[in-house]
Amino acid sequence: MSGFLDGIRCGDCECNVDWGEKRNTIASIAAGVLFFTGWWIIIDAAIMYPREDQFHHAYHTCGVIATIAFLMINAVSNGQVRGDSYSEGCMGQTGARVWLFIGFMLAFGSLIASMWILFGGFVVASKETVYPGIAVFFQNAFIFFGGLVFKFGRTEDLWQ
Amino acid sequence: MAGIKALVGLSFSGALGLTFLLLGCALEQFGVYWPLFVLIFYILSPLPHFIACRCGDDTDSSSNACRELALFLTTGIVISAFGLPIILARKAVIYWGACGLVMAGNAVIFLTILGFFLIFGGGDDFSWEQW
Repeated sequence: MSGFLDGIRCGDCECNVDWGEKRNTIASIAAGVLFFTGWWIIIDAAIMYPREDQFHHAYHTCGVIATIAFLMINAVSNGQVRGDSYSEGCMGQTGARVWLFIGFMLAFGSLIASMWILFGGFVVASKETVYPGIAVFFQNAFIFFGGLVFKFGRTEDLWQ
Repeated sequence: MAGIKALVGLSFSGALGLTFLLLGCALEQFGVYWPLFVLIFYILSPLPHFIACRCGDDTDSSSNACRELALFLTTGIVISAFGLPIILARKAVIYWGACGLVMAGNAVIFLTILGFFLIFGGGDDFSWEQW
């Protein structure tokens, strides 16, 4: 019984973690957390306020467009846009740029639309519960930032 | 074989997590079985990683888009497993105590699954013949 704590070492963890190569992992996880938290916020709002007059169901479109924008932005790699990837892809470099442009436009558009919905549809209209509007805004904000983190948080060339 | 002790430890924590989940449903003051739906998320959570491993690493660098997509989807499944009990509790379908027990069970089970991958599944020598 004596000396049974002798075997425990503190601070001996050889945490030679190479943060450089963990960057992609952390970015992917952070993007996943943001994106799916956004969707669960709107699911929560839809469940708490199921009536049309509390939460007009057409407002869901905003989040759907934001998700499509997320998919479009992350479907092309930075290498294809720069033109230095091995394969040409479906549409070539110009096509990749147009695709990315449209994706970002949809992303910014849905973010702006969510703010419009919050202020125009809930705050100015003086609805008794503003929470659905806030939920739409936060859903789109989270999806937008999740898309940005997934796109720009990961690096494609790890041999520098 | 990475050790019998690790396997036994992981199976214990798995059983503990499932116990928390079932307590959240079956205790007398709760008695509602809706939280069992998080079992779907438990089963789905390792799948993106398996699919990414099977679709293969095209380069031997660490930046593998397939793997990162799998990590993204796995994170989403984990978030969903925590989100479902919270939403059920907010709508008063289950009690908040049950929600807390289910979330504790989630945490233990996902740590178990993570432990499985770190101890048994990691590395390039992962092969199906291991079993």
